[in-house]
Formats: sequence, C-alpha cells, structure tokens
Amino acid sequence: MTTLDATAPGRRGLPAWLTRPSVGLVVIIALMIAVFSITAPGFLSPFNTFAISRELSVAIVLGYAMMVVLGVGGMNLAVGSIGVCVAMATAGLQAAGVPVLVSVAGGLVCGAFLGGLNGVIVVRTGLSSFMITLATMSIYFGAMLLLSGAQAIRNLDPAFVAFGRARIAGTVPLMFLVAVAIAVALTYLYRATDIGRQMLFTGANPKAAELSGVPVVRAVILAHALSGLLAGVAAIMLTARTGAGVPSMAGQIGRDWLLPAFIAPVLGGSALAGGSVAIVGTFLGATLVAILGSGLRMVNIGDFWIELFLGIILLVAVLADRARSLWSSGDVGR
Amino acid sequence: MSAVVEIRGASKSFVGVQALDDVSLDLAGGEIHALLGENGAGKSTLIKIITGVYVPDSGTMRLDGAPVSFRAPREAINAGIGAVHQERNLVPMFSVAENICLDRLPTSRGLVDRAAIMADAEQWMKAIGLALDPHTPVRSLSVAQMQLVEIAKALSLRSRVLLLDEPTASITPHEAERLFEVLRDLRARGVAMLFVSHRLEEVLALCDRVTVLRDGRNTAVGQPIAGVGRRDLIRLMIGRDEEAAAPARPLRDRGAPSLELQGVATAASHRDIDLKLHAGEILGLYGLVGCGRSELAKAIIGAIPVTGGEIRVAGKPAKIGSVSQALARYRIGYVSEDRKGEGVVLDQAITTNIAVTVWARLARGWLRFLSAAREYAAVKPFAERLQIRAPSLAVLVGKLSGGNQQKVSVAKWLLAGTEILIMDEPTVGIDVGTKAALHRLIRELADDGKSILLISSDMPEIVAVADRIVVMNAFRIVGMIENSHSYPDMSATIMHVIHGVADVELTTAPLTEALVSSS
Amino acid sequence: MIRDRLLRLARTENAGLVAILLIAVVALTVANPAFLTSFNLYVVLTSVSLWTCVALAQMTTLATGQMSLSVGSLGGLVAIVVGGLCELWGVPLPLAIIAGLAVGLAGGLLNGALIATSGINSFIITLATFSAFHGLTLGLTRAIPFYHMPDALKALGNARFGAVPFMLGIVLVVALAVHIIFTRTRIGRHMLAYGGNPTAAVLSGLSTKRAVIFAHALSGLLSAIAAILTVGRLQIAQPTIGEDWLIVSFAAPIIGGASLSGGHVSVPGTLLALALLAVINDALVLLGVDPFWVQVVLGCLILAVVGANRLREGRRLGEAVAR
Repeated sequence: MTTLDATAPGRRGLPAWLTRPSVGLVVIIALMIAVFSITAPGFLSPFNTFAISRELSVAIVLGYAMMVVLGVGGMNLAVGSIGVCVAMATAGLQAAGVPVLVSVAGGLVCGAFLGGLNGVIVVRTGLSSFMITLATMSIYFGAMLLLSGAQAIRNLDPAFVAFGRARIAGTVPLMFLVAVAIAVALTYLYRATDIGRQMLFTGANPKAAELSGVPVVRAVILAHALSGLLAGVAAIMLTARTGAGVPSMAGQIGRDWLLPAFIAPVLGGSALAGGSVAIVGTFLGATLVAILGSGLRMVNIGDFWIELFLGIILLVAVLADRARSLWSSGDVGR
Repeated sequence: MSAVVEIRGASKSFVGVQALDDVSLDLAGGEIHALLGENGAGKSTLIKIITGVYVPDSGTMRLDGAPVSFRAPREAINAGIGAVHQERNLVPMFSVAENICLDRLPTSRGLVDRAAIMADAEQWMKAIGLALDPHTPVRSLSVAQMQLVEIAKALSLRSRVLLLDEPTASITPHEAERLFEVLRDLRARGVAMLFVSHRLEEVLALCDRVTVLRDGRNTAVGQPIAGVGRRDLIRLMIGRDEEAAAPARPLRDRGAPSLELQGVATAASHRDIDLKLHAGEILGLYGLVGCGRSELAKAIIGAIPVTGGEIRVAGKPAKIGSVSQALARYRIGYVSEDRKGEGVVLDQAITTNIAVTVWARLARGWLRFLSAAREYAAVKPFAERLQIRAPSLAVLVGKLSGGNQQKVSVAKWLLAGTEILIMDEPTVGIDVGTKAALHRLIRELADDGKSILLISSDMPEIVAVADRIVVMNAFRIVGMIENSHSYPDMSATIMHVIHGVADVELTTAPLTEALVSSS
Repeated sequence: MIRDRLLRLARTENAGLVAILLIAVVALTVANPAFLTSFNLYVVLTSVSLWTCVALAQMTTLATGQMSLSVGSLGGLVAIVVGGLCELWGVPLPLAIIAGLAVGLAGGLLNGALIATSGINSFIITLATFSAFHGLTLGLTRAIPFYHMPDALKALGNARFGAVPFMLGIVLVVALAVHIIFTRTRIGRHMLAYGGNPTAAVLSGLSTKRAVIFAHALSGLLSAIAAILTVGRLQIAQPTIGEDWLIVSFAAPIIGGASLSGGHVSVPGTLLALALLAVINDALVLLGVDPFWVQVVLGCLILAVVGANRLREGRRLGEAVAR
C-alpha cells in the first residue's frame, strides 16, 4: 500500500511485506508505546493522546511537504521559511479583519506560490534544488521579516483558534483528520492520476522521463508548489494551535523544521534520490517521532535531549536501510 | 613470443547474468591484440578483471608466467597494467602534468614538488609526441588530446600492458591515424596492447591477432589477423553470416514526405541538414559514433533546440518545443540508444515503463483518474505483441534481459500510436533472436504505413533493413543513397561517401573462404 | 606589454571579486565616510575573522564534492565544551582549547567515517549528526550559557591593534595553512582529485576513504577554531553558537569560486567573498537599511553566483559539443 513502484519479489526468501520499513516502524512504535505507558503515568491518557495527535498532525503534513519534492528527485530546504510566511500572511489577513476562510485561502495561495517559484527557478536554471532552496529559504525569511517587522500577530479570528482546539468524538483533534485527509489525497495522486505517476517517473530518471514525453518541467514545478502548499497547511495548523502568528515559529530562516520535515519521509522509506514515495511510511515516521518526543518529555528526560535521540534514530535508520539493500542485492563482498 | 598476460577459464556472474564463461586470453609483448564482441558479449567484464576492478569467480590470470590476482585497481596498476577506458578518467581542473602523475605525486620536504611533476610529465608526453603545455588544465583539451594524456599516464605507470577501450569512438579519423602511429611505435618497443573496438576496418588494418567473445564465451583466441576477413570476424561475433538481405520492399509511390528537414541547424552544431522521410519507408541514418546522429534525433523530437531551418510534419511547419509536444501533436517517438539510461527506467515496473507515454491520454476527468487496471489493460496487448518475456508485467525492468528491455523501450511508442518513429541503435548489445525479431517488427511497422528513421553504425544491419540510406559525418549530411541491399556494393559506396575518396584498403578486405575455426 | 599584463590579471580567477569588493568599498565610503573609521573597519574585520573558519570548514567538504550540515552544531558543541571545562572544572585555558579542538576533530572524524564506510550521501549523514550534536549541546547545558570565561579567552576575541583584531592574524594563518594543504600537499590534491573525478581518483589508486575522512576531520577542526574564537568574542559560551552558520558556510566558498560538485575550491576567493559579505552587512547598518535585508541579499547573492557559474559551464560544454 505504501510505494507506487511495483512489488519487488521478496528478498532472500523473506516475504516482501516483512522487509518494508513500515513493518519495522509499526513494531518500534508499538514497543515505544508499551515502554512509555509503563514508565510514564498518564502517557495514554486522553489528554496526552490529544496533545500528541495535534503535534502529530503538523509533523505529518510537514513530512508530506518534503516527501512530494523527494518524489521528483529534489528537496525543499525552504519548508520552514515558506511555512512561516504563510502563517504570518494568514495571521496578518485575519488581523486586518479578513474572513477566516479567505485568510486561510490567501495563506495557502502564498505557500503554493512560493513553492512554485522554487520549482520555476529549479527548472529554468537547471541547478540543484538543494542550492536553490538554500538561497530561497533565506530570501523568503528575510522578506517575511521585512513585511512583518518581526512582530508576532496575536489577534487572530476566534473561529480560527477554535479550529485549533476542535475535536471530533471528544478525543480526535480536527486537524488530525485534516492530516489523514491529506494522506488519502496524496495516495490518490500517486496511485490513481497521471500527474502523480509522472512525478515519480521524473524522480526515478529525469532524462528518461523527458525523452518519454513526460512534461518534466510541469511535474517539477507542481511538486514544489504542492510542497509549499503543504508546508503552508502545517504552518496554519500550528498557528491555529498556538493562537498567534509568530515569526520565530520555525526558527531562524525556518531551519528548525528541516529535521522533522526530512526524518518522517526518510524513516518511512521514501527514496532520497526520488522515484518512490511512502505515504503510510511517512505517516508512521512522523508518529514515531511524536511519540518519542512526548514519551521522553513525560519521563522528564527533557525537551533538550530529544534532538539527540532523533539524530541517532535517523542515523540508525539510514545505516540499516543501506545494510538491508546491500544484503539483499548480494553485494556484501564488494 | 611468451605471453605477458595469460588468462585461462575466467568466469564471472552477476545476479543471474553470466557475464563471462570459461574465457581465455593470450596477450604477448610487442603486439596489438584486438578484443572483439558485440555489446554485452563480455568485453567490459574481461577488461575490468584485468584492471583489477572485478575479481573473477573462477579461472586464473598469469602475468609473465606468474599467477596474479588483483583485488583493487591499485594492484593492477602496480603490476604494470594501464588502461584507457571509454569514459575519460582525468581530473578536469588539474593540469595535464598533475593528471599524469596523480598516483605518485612527488613531494619534497612534505610539500608537493611542482617542478618534479612537470619534469616527470614532460618525459612521458615527449615519448608519445604530445606537444602541449603540461600546465594546461585538462578540461580545456579536446577528446583526442585527453586520450593521448591518458596514454601518457598509462605509460608513466611503467605499464607493459596497455588496454584501450573504444579509443577511436569520439575522435576524428585524422586523430585516430595519429593515435595508431603512437600505438605502432609502442608495439615496436615491446608494449603489449589490447585493442577493443567495434570498427572492424580499424582492427583489420592495425591489429596483429584477435580474440573474439560472444555471449560471454570465446569464439576465437589469439587468432592471427592475416587471412581473416570482415565476414569471418562478423561470423565469430554474431554466430552467423550477416543478415541475408531481405528482398527489397516494394517500391511504392512515396508520396509527400511525412517528415521533412530543410536547412536545419541545431544547438548541437548541426548545419544545413536536409532530410525527407516518407510514410511506409525505413530510412537508414548511418555514421560513425560521434558524428551527431543521436543529437539530430533529439533535435527532431524537441529535446535539443533547433536554431535554424525548418522542420515540417505532413507538409506543415512544426514547432516542437519539447518531447511531450512532439508526441502529443506530431506523433513522433524516439527509441534512445542509451537503453538503460534513457530508454527505460530500471527501477520501475514494465507496466509503468510502457504506459508512460499515454498516461495523460488515459486519465479521465478533472480529477485525472487513471486506475492501475486501466493502465494494465492498455499495456498488455503491446507486451504480448512484442513478446516481452517476464513472469509478470509488475516486474522491474532492471531485472529483464537486454533484449526484453529494448522491447519495453519500443513498446511504449507503439502504445502511443506514434506515426514517425526514430530508432537509435536499437539492436546494440541484444541477443541474436531479439535482433531478428526487432528487424521484423520494423518492417511490419513500415508496411503499416509508419515512417521509420533507423539510426545505426552497424553497416550490415542498415544494408539489410533500410530502403534508403542517409550518411552523416561531423554533424552534416554527406550523402543519400538508394539501398541495393548488396553488402559489398553498399559498404563501398557508403565508405566512399563518408571519406570522400575511394579508400580501397578499408573496403575490400579479403572475402576469402578461409574459415576460422569457431570454437 | 602593460596591457597584456593587465589583461592576464583580469582573467585570473578572483579578479571579478576583487573588482566588486573595491567598488563596494569605494561606493560605501562615498555614501557614508564613517565606513573608514578605525572602529568601523575593526567591526568589519572582526566579522571576517569570525566567519573565516566557518566558511573554510564547509569549503573543505565541498572540495571533495560533499557537504556538512553539522558545521554549526559541531561548533556549538565545542563552544560549550570549552566553556564548561573552564567554568565548571576550572581547567586551564590551553587545555580547554585543546579539548575543544579535539571534540571538533572527533566530530568531523565521525562524520567522515560514517560517510566513507557506509557510502551514504553526506547530506543525510550530516543532517543526522547535526541534530545529534545540537541535541547534545542543548541537553548538556539546558540552553543555559556559561558566563564566566577566562580573561585570556576574552582577550583573544577582543584584543585589537587599531582597526585590526588580534583574531585576524590567527585566522589568516589558519587560512594560509588550509590553502597550502589544498595546493601543495598530497592529501589536499587527493581530496580535490576525488571531488573532481571520483573514478579517476579510484583508478589512480588514491585512497578515497582517506580523502573523505580527512576532509571532514579538517572541517570539524575548523568548526572548533571558529567556535573558540566566537566564545572569546562574545565572552560567553552560548549553546546557540553555530546556529546561524549554515547559509554563510555555503555562500562564502561558493561566491569565492568553489565548484558545487567538488574538485575546485579557492581560499583567497573565500576570504574575498567573506570580506564582501562583511562589507555588505556593514553597508546595511551604516546606510540605516532595515537589517532584515541581510537574509534577502544573502540568498540573492547565492542564486546570482551559482547561476553565473552555471552559465559559464554551459557555454564551455557547448564548445565541447561543437568540436
């Protein structure tokens, strides 16, 4: 269910589903939940699960924002900057009295535009998306600071803030459903549309894609625009939750969002080089990170150490994946 | 003469593919020894074993009679084996001198000794008559010059064995002649040289003995060239005589051209290209590697910009800005010569690779819905027509044989209903059976009214299949001939057209009946 | 004769940068003569001094065609190690500095070893170690800086002779050493060979593992130097040191002429680029421009330089094809 490319025959006799990252993730998540529910009283309380799922919603969508660009073989370092631009735009519109839905729409358009701009620069110059988004992360952030004067915006529309607190059936945050809806939409995109297929084909081999008549330029720009849009969604969710548009919400030039944005897709099995995306995997990856964070906080290990854990997890995950692919292709001797 | 390099019973396999099977080679000092074989016959693998990149699964290798086994390129270099590969292996930003001395940068008092590098390099450059400023950065050299630098480098490693892999692939005939002088000089000095090339004319003119590989096995080991003709070499390489010329296809009234190029110039520096292709016609485009044929094809389909002249499709001027436009608007398709890099995507399934050209057409509604079932239903008939052998269409293309991969590469254009199909070296590195099947397919397509532009540097193939032959050289069209399908006549005519002079030596290789024993 | 010499000079690699820098300095002086005051020049040169080793740290990895996202966070870790040793355990400054350098070296070695042995690309490895080092830094200090630094360290960061900070001498020596490594030592040439054409390096029998590990180790060491100088300058050991190093660490070497794919770097170019960036930053202050423009200008500069490089390369490739 996770990746678009064909089901590869099982490696070395193990059934294919067992070697997919998702299975390992589910196991680890289950273990973590077990451990934390024992060591941290209240871990499984409705209050905590609600808190985790709200945080999780943002992380999932952010992970998708990076995933869609990884799919076409690029990356988007500007997710944080675009996110904060969208947050400030939406907050600014609301503070100016614009109706909520219009302000959200405006913010999303801003996100899609900034993302699309990244895409256009990438295809027009032929430069790596790493370099381009390294530069635009700075440019977008600077522009946001100039326009907002680095001032937080706190007078948001009450309806908007209510969305941030809304829950379905008493326990599930509304924004979690938004994240799930996005996951479903992305699954549809990659499995049931021509555009999604074209994006993945482009990511797998841009030259072959171009020579097969795939509109590569359009695919890349769309992927980047989609990335900006999703970064915007994540930012809007976060803003609704905190109740204020804060310029420092993603850190200086948005760099605080880099790790969470990458770790979810990478843990989930999306190929860094492009060509395949793991939608369920990214979801699970973000879940693992959120549960780990919450659990560590509850056993008083403290916020500060979480990043260390995440770094180690990411390292272990990529090393394990590398070992796995070497082992399965029988090249260990090399 | 005792062998310098002696290989016996070498075998090597990779994930299901037997690249070499019990192969032998005898390389003596003071000779230029040809290594022939189609792409995929195992030449590359054999070379990589000699140069220490691969370790053979079984078999022995002896250097001057003593057994050796290289586990890394460094060991082969230390043992005196130098190689000039197809791809340039020079550091672009470094000077010629530093590239030559890269493996042994001299130091004095801890710092790299520049003067010593220059002196060292100059010595070797002089040895092969390379008149260049050793300070020149390699990236500003021509391909031929880079090749000579690589030879100087190999010599400087005190190589007694020199492997040359397709050395004339991207250089002019004049530069090639220069290279041959250098090689003959080295031969006189006792260097053992292994010369890998597709150009039989060169092999017959330059080499002393020949070893031939086919499908990973020897069909000839150290056969002296004297008394061997072109036909014999081909039989050794592909196992049968050159394809019996099919009866010329009925010459119908060609009518208006389906594709016409007039005075076309491209960003790849083509000039004055005039070409006419008709429906139901197979037009062969012949030229040596590097003369600009693939680039011309890519210009026609919109991947390379056209800077001058006009392209007309079905009589109307065509503005082709991208491959997707070429396909959607003008029904033009291109089967790339780089099968693995451009023709197919190895990491994706067969279905994906074939359906890619029609995804946009199959998607329905503003939600662009396209189910996997619909995709499969569209692909299946074409997979069947081309007889693609695979356990299922969900298999990754990278797992297929070369022939089947090529079928996938062609199938996607058939599914897209292309009317004008450009096929670039479609049968290189493909087994004999698939090759024949592809030739049959090309004829069928032409009979159906499609227009085929067949690009090939395999003269027998073009003479057997094409209706007319256009000859290219150095990014220009130099001739256009009707095909009589008679190999001796056509090959002479084509050579004449390319070189502009009747080059007797190259074309009338003795077609004697002296058979070479095929093992 | 003179014309020929001038033309040859104009074609030398950094001529363009020197010209732009001169123009910028002249223009700025005209716009605001306060630029040339001793204090202002001191500020500019201090900025250059602090950023030099940061830029060189990234430059060394770029030379091999790789990158290190952990340049800043490794710096932060070194800063608090030095600060912590001095403040909490009263370790003598020279020992603390050596310990800091050792931590930087170790961090770099870790990066290099992971990349060289696993073959995984440097982006993702250094993304992971960046988080690990940063998390370690924050965890150990709970985000609280060390406030009591030894006087000698403070002097190191703040002593000056007129307009010239003492640190400048140190970093120029370091820069010279790095320059010599890349132009005149074997390992330096090997690093560049690997960056320029990895296959050629392998086939020439060079130890590419050693080149990669050395590059990252040197990078870690340079991060450490930058961190120690920063602590001296700020007079406190902040765990946030290094957090803003990312963009400049890439911008300066690239503006200075480094090739993105590896194989070519320029220490003089990087220094000139740093000078230019410092002057631009100073200009924004002196001209009363909103300081938030810095980010925008920096980003645009990177795009401009990378784009120009691409154009130049594209033209050359076109020539090669035409032949």
